[in-house]
Amino acid sequence: MQLRDYVIRRLLVLPFLIIGVSMIVFALTRVGGSPIGIYLSHEMTPAQVAEIEARFHLDKSLPVQYFYWARGVLQGDFGWSGVSVAPVAEVFPKKLAATLELSVASGIVAVVMGLWLGTYAGARRNRPADHITRVVAVTGASMPNFWLAILLLIIFWAQLGWMPIGRSTPEIIALVPTRTGLYTIDALLAGNLVAFGDALWHLILPAITLGYGATAIIARMMRSALVEELQLDYVDAARAKGLPERLVLKKHARRNALIPTVTVIGLTFGFLLQGTVSVEIIFRWPGIGKWMADSVLRGDQATLMTYVLFTSIVFLVLNLIVDVIYANLDRRVELGK
Amino acid sequence: MLDMTNRPSGLANSPATIASVRDLTVHFPSKRGMVHAVDRVSFEIRDGETLGLVGETGCGKSVTGRSFLQLLPIPPGILAQGTVTFHPHARCGACAGTGCDACNSTGRRPAACPSCTGAGCAQCNGSGAETVELLRLPEDRIRRIRGDRIAMIFQDPGKALNPTLTIGDQLSEVFLQHRTEELLDAAGIGPEDRGLAARLLGRLASQRNGSIDNLLLSLPPLRGKRNLLLDALRNNVAAALAETQIANPYQIIDRYPHELSGGMRQRVMIAQALACNPDLLIADEPTTALDVTVQARILELIKDLQKRRQTSVLYISHDLSLVRRICDRVAVMYAGRVVEIGRTDRIFRNPSHPYTRGLLHAVPTAATKRGQLMAIKGTVPELVDPPPSCRFVGRCPHEKALCRSKNPELAQISDEHSVSCFIHDAAGAADAPSFDEKTQ
Ligand SMILES: Nc1ncnc2c1ncn2[C@@H]1O[C@H](COP(=O)(O)OP(=O)(O)OP(=O)(O)O)[C@@H](O)[C@H]1O
Ligand code: SF4
Ligand SMILES: [Mg+2]
Ligand SMILES: [Zn+2]
Ligand SMILES: [Zn+2]
Repeated sequence: MQLRDYVIRRLLVLPFLIIGVSMIVFALTRVGGSPIGIYLSHEMTPAQVAEIEARFHLDKSLPVQYFYWARGVLQGDFGWSGVSVAPVAEVFPKKLAATLELSVASGIVAVVMGLWLGTYAGARRNRPADHITRVVAVTGASMPNFWLAILLLIIFWAQLGWMPIGRSTPEIIALVPTRTGLYTIDALLAGNLVAFGDALWHLILPAITLGYGATAIIARMMRSALVEELQLDYVDAARAKGLPERLVLKKHARRNALIPTVTVIGLTFGFLLQGTVSVEIIFRWPGIGKWMADSVLRGDQATLMTYVLFTSIVFLVLNLIVDVIYANLDRRVELGK
Repeated sequence: MLDMTNRPSGLANSPATIASVRDLTVHFPSKRGMVHAVDRVSFEIRDGETLGLVGETGCGKSVTGRSFLQLLPIPPGILAQGTVTFHPHARCGACAGTGCDACNSTGRRPAACPSCTGAGCAQCNGSGAETVELLRLPEDRIRRIRGDRIAMIFQDPGKALNPTLTIGDQLSEVFLQHRTEELLDAAGIGPEDRGLAARLLGRLASQRNGSIDNLLLSLPPLRGKRNLLLDALRNNVAAALAETQIANPYQIIDRYPHELSGGMRQRVMIAQALACNPDLLIADEPTTALDVTVQARILELIKDLQKRRQTSVLYISHDLSLVRRICDRVAVMYAGRVVEIGRTDRIFRNPSHPYTRGLLHAVPTAATKRGQLMAIKGTVPELVDPPPSCRFVGRCPHEKALCRSKNPELAQISDEHSVSCFIHDAAGAADAPSFDEKTQ
């Protein structure tokens, strides 16, 4: 099958998958308890409670409730966030922008550093460089990121005072008009380099913390895949053709080692989004992670459902992207099987 | 057979050998000690001949073959001693490569020694031919020899081709590494050109292009020249494929290795190896991984190409009957040593090492596994820190005490025939072994 046809087919299936996911999300959340708990207080009269119940169609059957919820979602009405005391649809994009900025930044750190470290170590197998990268990778994969976050904060914020905490300096970012909600991009679009530097400065520690684990995983994967590729005959055959070692590595071994690594990269991106919860809380990053933690604790179902729905869609799309890259790298992959 | 001893040439003393291996010794450290995988192996490959290198699995054939291209597994291996000398050839000046009497119709002649320009000096041992010490050549120089002057075919074409690049991509690399000037010439760029177009195309024609180069080259002013260059490259690749009797080369170019049959893949490997018309071809069991019917055709192809181009070939195999069909001379290896070497007809008519005799008497049966041809009793010895002795001790029917205490040297027993065995070496001595006497 042609790659293009395959992508189109997958895109056509995507909406149905999303509907399926949304049903599961809805059902599971309802199992977790009544959606209106967060709106009730002791002073309310039974009539007032009944009114709220009616507003949520709790007097109807579950499928009908789902239908009302889904219709609201399609119209851009994700419900009322009890935690933020505002419509979810209004708060969500702002929080999402903050989280997205953080996770994309750490994703870039992880992919660039991970692939580079893995290639460097794999090409120098069992030499000192390889052992050093192994230490980096093992600590990265085994250290919980809240622990690394606290460590970095103690050193660079509390002790040395080199690094700030939070997402930006309020007075500086106030001068930048909001376009995308990503502070670094907005600052660049406004041509405000001071604001850009400030946003970047705030981003560094949390991005490293969040990306460290993923860097380690990607580096290890890349290293072992590369070591495996370098032992295959085609590598010597490439050398026998007269290719310089640089090209043997770049055009042959590294390219093929990327194939198994891409799958891992796709997975780690999903986990980056999840990992934001603890990092955001510790670095006081005003993103979705912290908001979600509060919502779970207080039973804010409208917010939770929106978040879970969103994450599921991100996973579905990532999966598609990974498959396409994979097929592009490895022509042996039979698409659609 | 060619007259090897008296080749016409403009050089003082044109060498009849294209490459010679002297005392090649390769060790591999193991937990139990040093494995002597290749032990003082010496032989020469004459210009235009096919030399067979035969022996059982693990006897050191591949290690020997790989040494010509510095493709030894070092580390873990250790090159303990030895030299591999090579005499590169250049296009014949008399006929500009079309073939004439002066170059024996090959279009090539031994390249002149750079320090005496062919007159003969100490560096070239008075031969006047360029002499290259392959094992100690720096990376950038061995790289220019690999794939251009010396090429290699591997045992399993399914593994020796990169699964994720098209056949065309892989064959192109040979031309991009060794034929950059010709490709640029096809695009109308002369060697003196220094402009932006020449620089960008030069990078493209030597695989040094990056994504920015590619972008610039795809834009109108440079696009035309780039396409000329790529067309020339494609035509070169197709011509190389057509040489190996692939019927539809232009269709094969865009295929991936897994879309081809084993025989077809080996043809691609051969096309790749012979693309630059090398002086020496190392063929490491090129038919072992193939079906029997395909084997015969690939063998014919190699034989045919060798004849037409007068390429020298080192043909590695464990199959004596196969070697007999295509080799001018044969070297028999056993446990890391050459035990017998000589003209094919002499060796098969008069095998003079007990091991070779055993091999020839052991007719392979249906039950014989690939890579194994032994009906000789016992197994190949452990090569871990071996004592000085004949390696065939323990399996040899004629073994004597002398064989266990000393290592027999390779010695000439007749014209074009050398053997390493005390039967010939110490013939007549009281404790010498003899073919007439069975000791076990
Ligand atoms: N990479 C390596 N690491 C350790 N030992 C090696 C390595 N390569 C070769 N050897 C040793 O060298 C010996 C000779 O190996 P070689 O590959 O030359 O055998 P061969 O004659 O080509 O056998 P085959 O017919 O199986 O290809 C082996 O027995 C092994 O002990
Ligand atoms: S006779 Fe002695 S030297 Fe000759 S092969 Fe047998 S063991 Fe080796
Ligand atoms: Mg071998
Ligand atoms: Zn000539
Ligand atoms: Zn000289």
